[in-house]
Amino acid sequence: MLKRYPRLAVLFAVALLWPGLVLAQPKEKVTISALPFISTAPIFIAKERGYFDAEGIDLDIKIFNAAQAVAVAVASNDADFGITAFTGGFFNLAGKGALKVIAAQSREEPGYNFVAYVASKKAYDAGFRSPKDFAGKSVAITTVGSSFHYNLGMLADKYKFKLDSVQMKPVQSIPNMMAALAGGQVDATILPANNALKLESDGSGKIIGWVHEHTLWQLGVLFASSKIVKEKRPLVERFVRAYQKGLADYAAAFLAKDSQGNRMIGEKALALMPVLEKWVQPKPSIDTVKVAANYMDPQGRLLVKNIYDQLAWYQAQGLVDKSVKAVDFIDLSFVKGHRDVPK
Amino acid sequence: MQVVLEDVGYAYGDLPVLDGVSFTVGEGETAALIGPSGCGKSTLLNLVGGLLEQQGGRIATMGTVPAGCLNPLTFVFQDFALLPWRSVAGNVALALEHHPLGRAEQEARIASVLQLCGLTDFADALPKQLSGGMRQRVGIARAIAVKPAVMLMDEPLSALDAQTRELLMEDLIAIWARERTTTLYVTHNLSEAVRLADKVVVLSRRPGRIKRIVSVPVPVNERQKPEHIGLLQQLHDELWSLIKAEAQVADREMQHV
Amino acid sequence: MSDPAKTPVSFRGAGFVPGTRRWAPWLAFALIIACWESASRLGWLPSLFMPAPSEVMNALHALLVDGKLLVHIGASLKRIVSGWILGSIAGVTLGFLMGIFVLARSVGLPVVSALFPIPKIALLPLFILWFGIGEPSKVATIALGVFFPTVVSAFSAVDNVPRNLIRMAQSFGLSTRMIVFKVILPGAMPGILAGFRISTSIALILVVAAEMIGADTGIGAFVLAAGNLMQIDQLIAGVVLLSLLGLTVSALLSVTEKIVLRWR
Repeated sequence: MLKRYPRLAVLFAVALLWPGLVLAQPKEKVTISALPFISTAPIFIAKERGYFDAEGIDLDIKIFNAAQAVAVAVASNDADFGITAFTGGFFNLAGKGALKVIAAQSREEPGYNFVAYVASKKAYDAGFRSPKDFAGKSVAITTVGSSFHYNLGMLADKYKFKLDSVQMKPVQSIPNMMAALAGGQVDATILPANNALKLESDGSGKIIGWVHEHTLWQLGVLFASSKIVKEKRPLVERFVRAYQKGLADYAAAFLAKDSQGNRMIGEKALALMPVLEKWVQPKPSIDTVKVAANYMDPQGRLLVKNIYDQLAWYQAQGLVDKSVKAVDFIDLSFVKGHRDVPK
Repeated sequence: MQVVLEDVGYAYGDLPVLDGVSFTVGEGETAALIGPSGCGKSTLLNLVGGLLEQQGGRIATMGTVPAGCLNPLTFVFQDFALLPWRSVAGNVALALEHHPLGRAEQEARIASVLQLCGLTDFADALPKQLSGGMRQRVGIARAIAVKPAVMLMDEPLSALDAQTRELLMEDLIAIWARERTTTLYVTHNLSEAVRLADKVVVLSRRPGRIKRIVSVPVPVNERQKPEHIGLLQQLHDELWSLIKAEAQVADREMQHV
Repeated sequence: MSDPAKTPVSFRGAGFVPGTRRWAPWLAFALIIACWESASRLGWLPSLFMPAPSEVMNALHALLVDGKLLVHIGASLKRIVSGWILGSIAGVTLGFLMGIFVLARSVGLPVVSALFPIPKIALLPLFILWFGIGEPSKVATIALGVFFPTVVSAFSAVDNVPRNLIRMAQSFGLSTRMIVFKVILPGAMPGILAGFRISTSIALILVVAAEMIGADTGIGAFVLAAGNLMQIDQLIAGVVLLSLLGLTVSALLSVTEKIVLRWR
């Protein structure tokens, strides 16, 4: 029969193969710029577990070593998406209209140690025991306009001391901050958990408080180039879906707590270790992950008002142009249920 | 003061440049040292002046140092060796200011030698503003300012054009007419030697040995007189015939430096 | 017999004459800035990548108005001047010793050659350990950056003092000390001043590196902060300040050269 009806045979074959052809449709190539930190874990997880593939996205992760570079890569359209912490530079770039914030990354959440205030041994012995007492102290930060700078700004607002009375010492990098504190050249610094704990165990510094005990805020975000948000909205939606799956896995593995409120690192976390070992620099151990795995909203919901506040603070400091408006660079439509959305 | 050389030899490494040179420059006498290029004339002068360390033989001065002499053995250089950042007067002062002369005496000496060399109007000029002839006049003024016992002149006129050279020779003769200083005068120019020297010491090509010592039998200030010109020309030719063959060989030698 | 035709001789020696047109650089500057401004106005140059000259001027004006300009310039000048003076004194001294004494040269030359190419910025962490994050480490960074080129230029300046002048001084009985101060020092001045041109530029370049650590004022700190904040107009304003500072220093050096080297 097939011999007699060759056309039918072809049709038959096509019908049989059709679903395969659909599946074989080339996936869309998408690039994200990111830092090789645990805070990027949801992206790594979603990539390794095939969540992006399932959304028809062939994701290329470009690793940078500074938050600034991550944002610049997206602004210059070298990457379609980026995921990193807010800085003054980020807001200035966003103000140029090149970026759109679309979902949350890290934030300070009660009960999750993430960033610590660390006093030098000497300052601690001299009675510097609380983040309320930063006035008159010298503090090592990475750069002017960094998240560490903003941390101090929030403290100053909350505890009513003058930010001017804190001597800020920009030393460019976290290792330099640690060296400046250990060498007794500054009274205090602000460090991520693993660095802070290392200083404390070396005996060269004392943790005098955690940021989440004093101020809650949105540290990092997932953002996209304005171009891709405007021209390929469905692609961005698919991307965010995959990211949320990664976030959910991350939260289940690393953010769970037992009945006493202690964090549990269990089977699910161990199962994700190979992914982190592949992508995170320097190579993490389960112990470092236990300390460094920071809180992220499991659905990627933003603390929207805080972003407005951050921008206003940077603008008040003269670090961000007055013409920048938060509403212009935040797109709330990709994730449902954002928190504290200003009216 | 006299200069006495006995059996002087010198070599740059393996290359001998002087061999067994002996002669004397008498008190107030001008001895010209001539020879083909590379025969060690300048080396000999530097040995006499103490700028090169002696290797063999003896070099000595004899006699009394004239009154007011600050620097018995004094050079006049071919390239003038003036400090370009000092004025004419300042260059002369360089030779004086490290001696305990007193300001007045120093200034008097400078004024007098500038006058003698026709430089009074140029006292404040910088060397770059002067012609070659004027620059060498500064070199000469600086030398006579220290009232030397022996003048060591190293091709002093070689860097000048023929006309200027002529003028400076007349100046030198005039200066010597006032003060006879013992002078050793190195040159490769036979006319200069015949015109200025009492005695011409002819060196052979390298390694330099004394080939002949010739006296010039006419007083220096009479050599322009017509009756002497024939004799001096004859002397010139005689010296040339002594040097010519040596110079030809020297000219064809490879440079060893 | 007719006169042979006269052929006039034509001039063919035009061109290849060294000389300068005083107005040319100003015109070129004005032209470049005008092109840049109009490209920005027409939207060919996105302000994200390159702000217009007028925006840079606005940034400079804002700095001037709130008084920070003088604070930044003052802080940087203090570091540049003290670092440069320290590095220059040490460099000229060692350069002179190397130029005059055979032993100093034999030891100094290989040591300087080995240390010169080390990027001083790479040593910054070390300086912080030695000198802390205060002013000393910043001054040391600049001083060290200035030191090596100064040693080299002072050494070669001394080496280039004509031997015949030294022999002349010896023939007039000057002592070694007098020869150093009356002959070698003035004779080496042109080379030393030429070296100052390079070392002042290096000091200006290094002020940015020096102010990377623990500085909240200074042009370098300002430029770095502007870079970190992606305030490109302020970044360029800072760079313009540095280049104006460079032009001023170069003009000052030209005046010094005119006075000190009048004899050339």
